[in-house]
Amino acid sequence: MISLLYLSHRKGVNMGQEVSTEVLEKPISSKNVKKKSKQKYFWQYKYLYLMLLPGLIYFAVFRYAPMYGIQIAFRNYVPFLGMHGSEWVGLEQFRQFFTSPDFGRIMFNTLFISFLSVAVSFPIPVLLAILLNELRHAVYKKLIQTFIYIPHFLSWTIVVGLTHVLFSINGGAVTEILASIFGERVDFLANPNWFRPMIILQQVWKGAGWGTIIFLAALSRVSPEQYEAAIVDGAGRFRRIWHVTLPAIRPTIVIMLILTMGSVLSTGFDQLFLMTNSLNRSVADVFDTYVYQMGITQAAYSYSAAVGLFKSVVGIILIVSTDFIAKKVDPDSGLF
Amino acid sequence: MNSWKKNLTLSASLLSATLLVACGDGGNAEGGSADGESAGIETLNIMAPTFETTAPPSGNEWEEALVEFTDQDVNIDWVPNVNYTDRMNVTLASSNIPHVMVVQGKDPGFLNSAEAGAFWELTDYLDDYENLSQYNEDILLNSSINGQVFGIPRERDIMRSTAMIRRDWLENLGLEVPTSVDELYDVLKAFKNDDPNQSGADDTVGMIIPTWYGSLDTLSVWTGAPNIWGFEDGEIVPTFATEGYIDSLEMVRKMVDEGLINTDFTTLSPDDWDSAMFNGDGGVIIDVYSRAMRINNLFNDENGTESETYVDITGTLTAPDGNEYGQSTDGYSGFLAISKQTVTTEEQLEEVLTFLDKLASTEGANLLNHGIEGVTYDLDEDGYVLPIENDLTPYSLEQLGMYGEVYSMRPEGELAETRYRLMEENEENVVYNAAAPLVSDIYARQGSQLDDIIEDARVRYIAGQISREEFDAEIERWYSSGGQSVIDELTEKYQELMETQE
Amino acid sequence: MSTNASLHELHNTKGGRIFDKFNIIFLLIFALTTVLPFLYVVAGSFATEAEIARRAFFIWPETFTLNAYRHIFTSQAFIRSIIITIGVTVVGTLTQLFFTFTMAYPLSKRNLKGNKLLMNIVIFAMLFSGGMIPTYLIVEQLGLINSYWALILPGAINPFNLIIIKNFFQHFSAELEESAKIDGATELQIFWRIVLPLSKPIIATFALFYAVAIWNDFMGPLLYMHDTSKWTLQLLLRQVTISSDPNALGQMDPDFVPPEEGLKLAIIVIATFPIMCIYPFLQKHFAKGIMIGSVKG
Repeated sequence: MISLLYLSHRKGVNMGQEVSTEVLEKPISSKNVKKKSKQKYFWQYKYLYLMLLPGLIYFAVFRYAPMYGIQIAFRNYVPFLGMHGSEWVGLEQFRQFFTSPDFGRIMFNTLFISFLSVAVSFPIPVLLAILLNELRHAVYKKLIQTFIYIPHFLSWTIVVGLTHVLFSINGGAVTEILASIFGERVDFLANPNWFRPMIILQQVWKGAGWGTIIFLAALSRVSPEQYEAAIVDGAGRFRRIWHVTLPAIRPTIVIMLILTMGSVLSTGFDQLFLMTNSLNRSVADVFDTYVYQMGITQAAYSYSAAVGLFKSVVGIILIVSTDFIAKKVDPDSGLF
Repeated sequence: MNSWKKNLTLSASLLSATLLVACGDGGNAEGGSADGESAGIETLNIMAPTFETTAPPSGNEWEEALVEFTDQDVNIDWVPNVNYTDRMNVTLASSNIPHVMVVQGKDPGFLNSAEAGAFWELTDYLDDYENLSQYNEDILLNSSINGQVFGIPRERDIMRSTAMIRRDWLENLGLEVPTSVDELYDVLKAFKNDDPNQSGADDTVGMIIPTWYGSLDTLSVWTGAPNIWGFEDGEIVPTFATEGYIDSLEMVRKMVDEGLINTDFTTLSPDDWDSAMFNGDGGVIIDVYSRAMRINNLFNDENGTESETYVDITGTLTAPDGNEYGQSTDGYSGFLAISKQTVTTEEQLEEVLTFLDKLASTEGANLLNHGIEGVTYDLDEDGYVLPIENDLTPYSLEQLGMYGEVYSMRPEGELAETRYRLMEENEENVVYNAAAPLVSDIYARQGSQLDDIIEDARVRYIAGQISREEFDAEIERWYSSGGQSVIDELTEKYQELMETQE
Repeated sequence: MSTNASLHELHNTKGGRIFDKFNIIFLLIFALTTVLPFLYVVAGSFATEAEIARRAFFIWPETFTLNAYRHIFTSQAFIRSIIITIGVTVVGTLTQLFFTFTMAYPLSKRNLKGNKLLMNIVIFAMLFSGGMIPTYLIVEQLGLINSYWALILPGAINPFNLIIIKNFFQHFSAELEESAKIDGATELQIFWRIVLPLSKPIIATFALFYAVAIWNDFMGPLLYMHDTSKWTLQLLLRQVTISSDPNALGQMDPDFVPPEEGLKLAIIVIATFPIMCIYPFLQKHFAKGIMIGSVKG
């Protein structure tokens, strides 16, 4: 029964997939094609190629033209001297970065926070979206949806300020409540062991509501027929979620996950910087705060460009490998 | 094969588009707008930060008055103070470098550019001008780069540090305003133990310290430590290597131990500093005078009074050795630098300096600071400024002010009067940062990490998390991870500087 | 989703009802924690300085004052920048949607030749960038300094959004397109008449994403808007909130008097409230999402 249901809904959701190749004429096998048919091919899809044009121009002008700036990472860039006037130092910036005595610690902290974030902050919006989708009253649903996305608009300064009000060792509301229950006062803000949980808690609070939007959009395309079919088949609520709702947003989840991997080394600066203090610095230093710190005292264009390049390379490796794994699991998913 | 070829063509065309734009761009960036070489400067372009939330419109009445006064057409590019440095660096890379740029400090972007010859070195020129020659020598030196003047400093008050104390608490306990560090300690102790707010509960501490530890620096200077860097026995010494610093450190640790300081000093946000005192969590803050004024205003606001005094200020406190050591600022807030790329000749430089010279006169300085007499301000019979509420009020040009006599506002209330009296008195015993004019390459590279080592060690030591031995080990780590090289470099530059000064 | 309600009727078991109760309680509590801080910001913007300093948290001021708002709304510059920000956001969102959707559609055709390469180009551009200064120089070269287009064009396509939209299109019903094609429609017509109308939730989502990004952008106006009469709200917002940056304490011009707390909160309200309000308006499009089944009929 279940497997039948599963199949039927899969067809529902992915029905586009199976035939999508047919939107284009059968791909022309490239071996026996001559020049003429190449032109013909272009002509046949001229509108599609035409539609690509604005985007292509955009990428050429605003994304690729400035890319000569990547060489900043290999120079000692002084804006006044311009790109060519600045001294070429090769891999010096990278050497300085990789041989920094703090490199290992910073790498560890960055990865730790990032993967916590992928493990906790990433799935929660999915969960929330599903729960919202299960809400029966449209009014509640809209209201709650609107409320939970508000924190996205509050700056980290405000979020951190609020955290202080709630978690301060000196009369913070949450600290006091927990102290009265457990009889022990925890310094959430200074104790290094609490740093990562606090960071994740803030991220979830601030970002979860906003994160649901994309999944709700994906859910809006689930056909009621699929639910009806599931109900007729006698599937319970959780089975329905499992076999109808989740698969409907699966492509979105996968693509979001892949894209998230690209920025795994970027933990965000403001939040971590504002939450760092002398007692928790050992666990709080990450690439983003470290580069900033270097930037205060030196013209860190080259240095931060080098760190940025390193982050991008790691990002692209992670994206490609996540994409590869995703395709292994489900050939229909993935970036391409 | 075919699709491969097409990919190639596509990527080739994309690439050529890219190169086209990139090359065009590279060429111009170098070019500069230095046409009309030795011609006079028609419109003088100035780049300056603004702190205002509303943007000054160009060509407003105030700017017109400036043009009329200096007889020089100007165009001021106001840049929001946030990320001013970004805009400055972008501008330096572009083809439109203004003639005069306000530089907010010796940040690396500026240093690199100055080293690359982006700005005029002004040391030998200033003395030729009536007003520009009237600089304070200490301040000009402080603002220089190893003795070379790359900008005309915007002079600021030298003495700013004070302790501020809740007057009602002092009165409740019958205590006097402390005049020495030792007396301050007694006040803190009483504030902790003797129920200064008469609540009947042990709900107060003496001093409030947030996660910005300027208070501790001030306290250490008052106790006799150098102001960041000192010069002893022919060598530059970091403040934490001195007795005065250690004395104050031990004192603060004792204070923390005795509960005289807020328990959350490792996490309290500087944002909540004022309210912590206002709410009566603690009765003392050590910071700048303007904070005392702000807290006083909160009390006035709460009680519906105008300019009552609720907060006492102390100015410099006497050290345990009986001497007074006043913590000074560097005495300037950035400087006005002149571009060599757009101001190409000595004649043009003279033009620009003549313009700035006018602004450094009494009249010019007042124009920048207060605006137009009769429009934005009046003078009362004692020569004090009475501001006139006006549409122009937010568009102050004071960011261009360097030095020059400025009319002052009538000090409102006792607190303001005390403040100006103390500032003047304390200036006698000023302790400057010995390394203020010096720029160290090694410090530029590693400074903030080095600073963190000391900052963290200090906080953890006074919090009782590490022992004195561990603290000393951290200091050792400072020396071995580059600190010693910084000292050597600074010492060498200091000696060179002293030679040229004589 | 009105259809959902009827579904719930169809399937109203005891377990389901308990789940519903827990679900709604949980979501309400979460929603409460998210809305309270904003209520504090709003309340604070109407409160006196002393009250803000005295009370750590409140959602109703003891003494109401309109000082902050009076200050803001008597300033011409403020009103002007609100208008500018709204204008740039509207035009910018439409422009960016155009660029992104027109590119995403052909990209979603898996077998269109050259797509793989294009995707590589997009992904590469998502991760690598030339940085602030080269981008500035390009914008300068194009003569866009002081032009509102400088706030719109450099971000015309967010690769991240492009990839997600492309992904959405890939999972789009091909049957509809196929039947239109048989009727002789061109791809342009299919895109305009069939694909876009059926993609309202997606358009609404990315309209929101783009609008919020433009609205919140402050680096763009900082770098490209040299004419002070063209400043946007975000610049003003940053100007007043930066003083809260603890790091700025040591470096700031000591003569700088930070703006009053109430004014700060009022500016936060003004700078965030309008953009927050667009979500409820877009929400209805989420509900009217494509019902593949019903269209298929």
